[in-house]
Amino acid sequence: MSTLEELQARITRLEDIKQIKNLQAIYGYYQDYGEWQKIVDLFTDNDPSVEEADRGVYKGKESVRRYFIDLLGGGPNKAQRPGWLNIMFQLQGVVTVDSSHGKTAKGRWYGMGMEAKPIISLHKGELRQTWIHGVYENEYVKEDGKWKFKKLYFNLTFRTPFEDGWLKVPVVGQNGPDTIIKPDVAPTAYFPYPSGYHVPFSFKHPITNK
Amino acid sequence: MNLEALEREVTRLEDIQEIEDLQQMYGYYMDTHHRQEVVDLFSDDTESIEIESVGLFLGKEGVKKFYLDNDLLQEGQEVVPKWINVLILMSQDVIDIDPSGKTAKGRWNTWLAEAMLVGGVPRQQWLQGYYENEYVKEDGKWKFKKLHWNVTIFTSFEAGWLRIPLLGLLNRNDADAPAPHFHPYPSGYHLPYHFKQPITGE
Repeated sequence: MSTLEELQARITRLEDIKQIKNLQAIYGYYQDYGEWQKIVDLFTDNDPSVEEADRGVYKGKESVRRYFIDLLGGGPNKAQRPGWLNIMFQLQGVVTVDSSHGKTAKGRWYGMGMEAKPIISLHKGELRQTWIHGVYENEYVKEDGKWKFKKLYFNLTFRTPFEDGWLKVPVVGQNGPDTIIKPDVAPTAYFPYPSGYHVPFSFKHPITNK
Repeated sequence: MNLEALEREVTRLEDIQEIEDLQQMYGYYMDTHHRQEVVDLFSDDTESIEIESVGLFLGKEGVKKFYLDNDLLQEGQEVVPKWINVLILMSQDVIDIDPSGKTAKGRWNTWLAEAMLVGGVPRQQWLQGYYENEYVKEDGKWKFKKLHWNVTIFTSFEAGWLRIPLLGLLNRNDADAPAPHFHPYPSGYHLPYHFKQPITGE
């Protein structure tokens, strides 16, 4: 029979995983609605980062703010244009808490969803409907009993027009790092379909431990 | 942490797991037309069912009316035709147990792939929306207390949400009232969260 302390440690680990899964799910809900300030507040103040698709790495809390508020939000408290749609399901989380100290964790997720956004094209500003899919490999940190995002990393697999599909048109709407609201570091990995790129796993094989 | 505190935490984690199972089983029962099994997932003190594209149903009587008077059946039919397909993917749950341990709230994101009659015509359709549900623990078992599904998108497979946000209205004239909320795309409506921002507490 375990001691009370051992049981407590095991319960804490289960609670940590649950809290991190909630954090990721809540992030998803805020993202669907474009509530960028609430998302910025889900990040640690201590050297966070965000990188999505080919936009480059935004490092530090101020850059995280620039990324979500200025770049994705188009500025503080700016209303989204009518018809903007940004649904991204947060699916299939595998969360691994560091077993030595319980203060950091990693999580892999699928993002999959449906969007309507103005895509740069011959008809600039026109909304297009797209399917989007990608893989998250995120890092979390526990501060004052609360789990926060340390690193948000989304690797895009496809964003395809509803009418075409991923085989015909794998990606629309990615045009590299923004030239005005610039990232701190160039994109680390941008290999959408059909590159065959596999985002490295944060977890070890549960049976062989490799 | 003493034994009592530990037991409370274990109970909370078990409660969350049981509610996740409840919601997901609801989906499996709905998808396979096991309507009586669905009804039995609801408390006798059920407050309401609101499906925004259908209407508001009140109390356990409303539950029975909504599910057992099966709107997938045409007049004279006793079993749902095989081609009719309901597929509700339940995902992204955030479940919070009340400190009393007796009630809970949960938000879910849902993605549906369906085939059924819409306006009398066979249609294949994509839907997306969110649940904000309430649950109650009775005699050690979690049940539905309130079901609210918010519809964002209800579009045809062929057209997509940008061209056809809402394929049709499925309002039922036996509802107790029209749905109090109805804000499909592209309204930009935000279905309120039952939870607070986890870091700022706002």
